[in-house]
Amino acid sequence: MLTSIISTGLAMGAIYALIGITYNTMYSTSRVMSFTAGQLGMLGGVFGALFILRFGINSVVGFGLTMMVCAFIGVVTELVAVRPVLKSIEQHLYVLSTLALALMISQVVAIEWSTEPQAFPRFFGTAAALIDEKFWFPVAACAATVIGLEVLYKHTLTGRAFKAVAEDNLAAQALGLPERNLRIASYALAAMIGGLAGFSGGSLLLAFVANGGLLNFYGFVPVALGGLGNNRGAIVGGFGLGLFQQAASFLVGGIFASVAVFSLFIIVLLIAPQGLFGAPQSRRV
Amino acid sequence: MLTSVAEPLLDIADVHSGYGKIVVLHGVTMHIKPGEVVALLGPNGAGKSTLLRTISGLIACSAGSMRFSGESLGGLGPRGTVQRGLAHIIEGHRIFTQQTVYDNLLLAGYDVPRSERKARVEEALTYFPEIAAKRNDAGSTLSGGQQQMLAVAQGLVQKPKLLMLDEPSAGLSPVLVDRVLAVVDQLRVAGTAVLLVEQLIEKALSVSDRVYALAQGRVVLEQPANLPDLPRLLERAYLDQN
Amino acid sequence: MSADGAQAGLEPLSALKVGGANASVVPFLAIFALAAAVPFIGNDYWVLIATRAAVYWVLVSGLTLVIGYAGQLAIGYVALLTLGAYVTSVLAAGNVLPPIPVFAALALAGLVGAVAGVIVGLPALRLRTFYFAMTTLGFATIVTQIALAWQSVTGGGIGLSGPEMPAPFNTTRGFFFFCLAAAAMCTWMSSNIAGSRYGRSLVAIRDADVAAEAVGISKPGLLTKVFIFCGALAGIAGGLFASLQTYITPDAFTFDLSLLFFISILIGGRGSILGPLIGTIVLTLLPEIAAPLAAWSAFLYAAMLLAVVLLIPGGIAALLDFKSRAPLETGRTIAPRLDMLSALAPAVGNQETLSVRDVVLTFGAVRAIDGASLDVASGQIHGLIGPNGSGKTTILNVISGFYAPNSGDVQLGGVPLEAGDPVTRTRHGIARTFQTPRIVGEACVLDNVMLGGTINGRAGFFATLLSLPGSFRDERMFRSQALAALACVGLDGLADVRADRLQHSELRFVEIARALMSRPKLLLLDEPAAGLSVHEIVHLGQLVKAIAANGAAVLLVEHHADLIFGICAHVTVLNLGRVLAEGTPDQIRVNKEVVSAYLGG
Repeated sequence: MLTSIISTGLAMGAIYALIGITYNTMYSTSRVMSFTAGQLGMLGGVFGALFILRFGINSVVGFGLTMMVCAFIGVVTELVAVRPVLKSIEQHLYVLSTLALALMISQVVAIEWSTEPQAFPRFFGTAAALIDEKFWFPVAACAATVIGLEVLYKHTLTGRAFKAVAEDNLAAQALGLPERNLRIASYALAAMIGGLAGFSGGSLLLAFVANGGLLNFYGFVPVALGGLGNNRGAIVGGFGLGLFQQAASFLVGGIFASVAVFSLFIIVLLIAPQGLFGAPQSRRV
Repeated sequence: MLTSVAEPLLDIADVHSGYGKIVVLHGVTMHIKPGEVVALLGPNGAGKSTLLRTISGLIACSAGSMRFSGESLGGLGPRGTVQRGLAHIIEGHRIFTQQTVYDNLLLAGYDVPRSERKARVEEALTYFPEIAAKRNDAGSTLSGGQQQMLAVAQGLVQKPKLLMLDEPSAGLSPVLVDRVLAVVDQLRVAGTAVLLVEQLIEKALSVSDRVYALAQGRVVLEQPANLPDLPRLLERAYLDQN
Repeated sequence: MSADGAQAGLEPLSALKVGGANASVVPFLAIFALAAAVPFIGNDYWVLIATRAAVYWVLVSGLTLVIGYAGQLAIGYVALLTLGAYVTSVLAAGNVLPPIPVFAALALAGLVGAVAGVIVGLPALRLRTFYFAMTTLGFATIVTQIALAWQSVTGGGIGLSGPEMPAPFNTTRGFFFFCLAAAAMCTWMSSNIAGSRYGRSLVAIRDADVAAEAVGISKPGLLTKVFIFCGALAGIAGGLFASLQTYITPDAFTFDLSLLFFISILIGGRGSILGPLIGTIVLTLLPEIAAPLAAWSAFLYAAMLLAVVLLIPGGIAALLDFKSRAPLETGRTIAPRLDMLSALAPAVGNQETLSVRDVVLTFGAVRAIDGASLDVASGQIHGLIGPNGSGKTTILNVISGFYAPNSGDVQLGGVPLEAGDPVTRTRHGIARTFQTPRIVGEACVLDNVMLGGTINGRAGFFATLLSLPGSFRDERMFRSQALAALACVGLDGLADVRADRLQHSELRFVEIARALMSRPKLLLLDEPAAGLSVHEIVHLGQLVKAIAANGAAVLLVEHHADLIFGICAHVTVLNLGRVLAEGTPDQIRVNKEVVSAYLGG
């Protein structure tokens, strides 16, 4: 039982962490939390199944196509739902515009794809239950993402420019950094990370339209736990949430596991609004 | 240094701008010649920072014309102005505290060809040995004065024709102020024009060729910096503008 | 515009004021009369549709206060409807406890809804609205999961029967008229709140939260009351919905319903009751009259939401607000009437001196205020000048409670002021204006000024909800005082104009009028002359002098040397967070250090 809790918990945790990173990557360049984050997780699964199972495309090519479609949707998010409302960010119109876009995505999938869970392809053949790809693939994807981002942020000028825009948008603009292009790029990047979450978790979550709403919420919990924009916090929070959810599910049953998660979420918001790992924002004078 | 024959490097006329409904600049006209150091003075709220931000494209110019090296600056945006040789060091030494000194400088050279970028950074660092020694430290570990030097060095990486400095002395001890302003002198020698917004009048005048004073979004005075009676003229200009 | 506030306040329709404008009650009467006629002109199917619209409106009428007025984006409110439906059904069916009468079950559903509304709303009390949106979404997710999984109580996916209403409400028509009456009642209650100081405060929280705190509005306290009201209505609506459906399963409560509630309000227009009412009716009818589109209805709702947000953020209500498009008179002048000020004199008290002692405030390594002290006596204008970043506004923020100092004392008349608690300041008799005017742009000028008197209202939330006589008295008092305050600053001609149509300089005077509403003993002015014309600065100077002569202490942060030296009795010069010099204007003028620091900056 314990091994099942741990393997499922870690796999779910990796998916939540990846969605959390999706939120953070969009947030860092725009200060916008976008409701499309969870939908991208859902789309990773749906497009994976569409390209590979339904169209019979080679897995690697199918994966590449899935990433490209997700990146495109990320760019659309920025152009349609984020850029027009950035000027009046204090009015929080982005909550509505990104929600509207997320719902449109979800509705199109529900109508054109299916409202029922659909099978997702398997890539690595069958193995023993506990080292099944549905458990290790999300964790591997999460690790690869973390390493990739580390390389990007630490070792490329573009990555440094991302960090600069995230820290001080005005100063970055004054320095001549291409702030708008970087923002679009960050949305494309975030969308691919979200798509990867859904693709790698496809065997676990299936290609299911309802995953969008679930991932929107469960992917935001690690962000709230870890602090906005804090990827390390999102990873710790994501795995913590996955394990907590599975353990609660085992201890008190499925009904109350979700209540436990929701209660944890509210309690954390109330006692540590900056997240458990996020430093309180310092003020610039 | 005042060569009257030179075409103006920066030539702006009747510039209006502001934030939303609030108009801050009500028609500013000024020019800067190549290699000239110009001090921009004026009381708080006069619109000095707004003028700099308008010139560098951080905020939109709602009316008037702005030309730089014979080319219109209208609608260029900050990246375009940097690419054309106009560097703007905004107030408050806002460097990127989470990145190293070296990375901060590399970022300043974002549009500089890759082959040239490192050489530019090294060159900028020669102006400030005290931060060259901390090149691998995070920006957050620098003192306020060192952060200001780093901000100025970021401008130097861009090898601008015109460097706009917004209150480089704010929050710095007198020794450090002299240190930063000494660089302005070096730049003048190297032929770079400087537009300097400063609170410390005397220090500003000591490195400048010419002075503009703003009050309530308008130019109220334009004089050579070595005019003996300048402080009194400035006071009169602020108080009698009505 | 007559200054006779008492007469205006006696208008019989004032209870149905919407968003501050005297909206006529006629459209509401027309809608409800038309609805009441449905059973006589249509078949039972249309009666069911009308009943559904009425039930939705019971929920939306409360939710519009949360979303439209307070600007809190509750996107998952279907969860409270679900909760109310299951509570009513389970209690009335008696499959867990002995069955109880339907009306008692409905009341308990309201209670459960109120409690859930507060719990879900907790993050909204302190955090940005995105967290609240996410919390309501999360709540909607888990409520559905529980309804599916907790089979012994909810019947799981199979569901359970809705409650059966007692006679005479057990027929289609009877139930319809019951729901219609409930909807009318809810409209009346929500309108009462919307048109009162509570409604104005909610809008202030949405559009000018800092100003709201400065006039003494406690966001957590106010939002909690509204969440209770809105949650209770949602719970009751859930019970009625279950009865209407006769049989409920988790499938009946899809997120599409949340979207319908939400979009009705946004399309109708925030800060309006009528707009969302029309929105609810239209969106309920839409799938019925456009059946082929039914599958795509949720997509269309979402597309409409995006279009509204991007194109008409004000909704239909703003689109139909023709009054705000008529051009305003140009070349307006501000002509304060100083003789009117005596009506707004500070409450008689002892001579109360503001005393700031050795205040230190650091932000990280920066010492923004580094041991500054100053005193302002009542009846005196005290100028505070200094270069940028010298800590002037920061001191104002410490006095008005927006920052808590690391050390040092701030007292008014010997009473220490609570550190870092801006909401308490109005009670101490302190009012302020802001460097950038903090105004509710979508409300009229009069409403903005009335906001300044909020804490002087006597009628509580409940009394206002039911429009008890006290709430009328409050509104009359606010109105007449606000008109007087506007006359003092010379803007009474613009009382009915939307504030965002005013010029920047006029907004500065609106802020002063708002500050005068609380009859302050101490008035803090943060750069009131910035952006004013020379002529307006002269009027401002006369006004501030008259306010001080009226008995208030005035602390004036300003850059305009002529204004400072012209009207201040005493001037303090700050530099790098410390007092550089203090004295009379004549002493300061000749202080060499000051001349250099001040004129240089």
